[in-house]
Amino acid sequence: MATETLEPEVKPAKKAAAAQPLHYRFILTTYRIFAIAALYAVLLGVIAYAFVMGFYAVNSSWAAPVILTATDEKSLDFREKLITSQQSIEDLKVDAAKMEAGLKEMQAHRGALLALEPQIQRAIDAERKHDTADLPQLSSLDRQKLADDARTQKLLAQLEDMEANIEKDLAAGLITKADAASQLAALNQTATGYTDSRIAEVLLTDTELDKTPVGGTIVDALEKQAELRSEAAQLDVAIEVAEKELTEDNRQIARLHDAIVTAKLSPYYLIATGKNLLYFAFVPYDNQASATPGSPIYDCYLNMILCRKVGVVGQRFAGEEQATHPIFKTQIRGFLIQMELDRAQAEAAKSRTVFLGRKPLLF
Amino acid sequence: MAPVLMWLILVLCLVISIGKYLLGLVLRLAHPSTKIRKDYSLEPTVSVLMPCYNEGKTVYETIESISRSNYPSHKFEVIAQDDCSADDSYEWMLKAQRDFPGVRIRVGRNEENCGKARTVCNALVHSRAEIIISIDSDCIFHPEAIRELTASFSEPKVGSVGGRVGVRNPNESVITAIQTIVYYAAFELYKIPENWTRSVCCISGCLFAIRRELLLEIEPAIRARHWFGVPVNQGEDRFLTHQTLLRGYGTYINNDALCWTTVPTTLPVLFKQQLRWRRSIVRDFFFTLRSLPQHVFKLHPNTVLTLVLTPLGAIVALLVVVTSLISDPMAWAGPMPMITALAIAAVLSWWIKKRSVRETIAHPLAFGAYIAWAIASSLFLTPLALCTMDSADWGTRVKTV
Repeated sequence: MATETLEPEVKPAKKAAAAQPLHYRFILTTYRIFAIAALYAVLLGVIAYAFVMGFYAVNSSWAAPVILTATDEKSLDFREKLITSQQSIEDLKVDAAKMEAGLKEMQAHRGALLALEPQIQRAIDAERKHDTADLPQLSSLDRQKLADDARTQKLLAQLEDMEANIEKDLAAGLITKADAASQLAALNQTATGYTDSRIAEVLLTDTELDKTPVGGTIVDALEKQAELRSEAAQLDVAIEVAEKELTEDNRQIARLHDAIVTAKLSPYYLIATGKNLLYFAFVPYDNQASATPGSPIYDCYLNMILCRKVGVVGQRFAGEEQATHPIFKTQIRGFLIQMELDRAQAEAAKSRTVFLGRKPLLF
Repeated sequence: MAPVLMWLILVLCLVISIGKYLLGLVLRLAHPSTKIRKDYSLEPTVSVLMPCYNEGKTVYETIESISRSNYPSHKFEVIAQDDCSADDSYEWMLKAQRDFPGVRIRVGRNEENCGKARTVCNALVHSRAEIIISIDSDCIFHPEAIRELTASFSEPKVGSVGGRVGVRNPNESVITAIQTIVYYAAFELYKIPENWTRSVCCISGCLFAIRRELLLEIEPAIRARHWFGVPVNQGEDRFLTHQTLLRGYGTYINNDALCWTTVPTTLPVLFKQQLRWRRSIVRDFFFTLRSLPQHVFKLHPNTVLTLVLTPLGAIVALLVVVTSLISDPMAWAGPMPMITALAIAAVLSWWIKKRSVRETIAHPLAFGAYIAWAIASSLFLTPLALCTMDSADWGTRVKTV
């Protein structure tokens, strides 16, 4: 194959540029100005983005102002809980007062019951003594009565013969009907007397049994004593329970009271009940060293430069808060502080961030 | 309303992109009509046009590889056109001309530097072949590349055919590993659905074959390209493909026509190359918008969607990234982007190792670095391209002597 070197073939593009119409030049110039401005804007944007990210990654003095109002959901919720707690305290106090009165009543009743105990004991002792004395006599009388009844019974065995004789005498006309009736009545009275005597003997035996240590009277007395003691024991239990409940109620009241005292230190209470405008800021735990009461607060342009003092750190609230990082938009933990802003610098409360203690970039 | 529209466009772009990759996989494995009917008996005359600028000895290797093509030597020639290189490229071209006498090699030189697109046109003047193949002067070609390309012209409605570009230096650095995966996924998956409808939107300039009459028809438009009077020398491959489609021809990439390119090894060079490509995409986008009805009526919907949504997606992605960074500056720091990228990288790396041993990546996990690149690319490339549309700087071929 033969080697060839080609003749230059040039249709220069320059000619097109040379023949550039005026309106093209204008458009191109405008485009270039716009393009340069846009590119610098992008460049500045990227640098600013990187700087802001880096700055907030290392800075440990920023805080994010938080605007709280009484109508905020959290404030309303807080207020509702506070009122509920106060109502609970009042209810518990009423319950405790009632319980205390009941307790006193039970204690008085118990005292009265215990006062009866010696009297009952004395009565039992006296009864026992009396029974001990009466029992031998009654036993002797009972024996004597039994002997008498035995003799009476023998006599009564002859009464049928006597009745027969009376009938015979009447039939024989030896006696009148009236005499016969009178004699039969006398015989019947004797029999009735014997029956009465038997009844008396039975009653005597019963009385004798009463006088023994297991007699009815003494048992009744002992039963009364047992009932009294049982009632006193029940009262002891009821008093103990009531005392415990009262103690628990009082403890609950104290706890709720403490909770309310603590809650009253919360910004949500302050905002819910306060009449003055209050300003708060969220401080992440990483920056807590800067949040000392009295430290100056600075508000800055573009969240970091040309800072001016706008107030000082007021009180620091104990409760933990969660918030979104104002720059990184991640969830972070921390706490709230009160900002005591100068009246003329109240707008700082609307800034995305403020700085505590010192200016972040020293200007 | 605007954010919703923005997200809608982005989601649509993502769905179409992911859909194209998945469809590419399915078609590649299961649909024979995706592949063109090849006729190796055609053997038309071929001119291989090789524009060159500051390539040094590489140009010699390129000519050497193309001269070893398995194609009748009397039916093809190489026309090497130097665009006034400041180095010894021209001497290397002459040396190649002397060293490979088995092939007709013609060497020319522009009178003055005028860019790649016009250099191709200058070379075209000397060609009389039926098929013109434009190649990059830094590529190495498979001996079957020309045969594969010409065989693909068996379908009369196919106007342009491209080759599959592989990476010569996949394991030179993390940057090259990233590009290897991107190249592979683009050719083997993303462009397959476009192949199916013979409507590839951009055939790589590394290996670009076109019918002579078609190129002659387009040539004046190539020479006349300008941005408000500033000549446009970049993205002639995308322009040629686009013009082929607009003239009613089909475009196709024959993945059996292989060539290997040396991809940028450093981030600055990669950035310049990507910026140049992005400018071409944006320019193509503006051109598409300017004649949208013509596109809608003439082109396959697949092509229109790709031409419109790909650059639009890039612009919208930029807006989404910026707004996301404003609303959630640490959004990018989550584990999901990295995990997703690593998972895709692992799958693709395994696939590449299985299907293209030459491009096997030694460190597949290096793809994780693509996240950083993707963010930088989304943030900077599109606005930079939009703001430097008048730039004629090639970026990757400037060498000081």
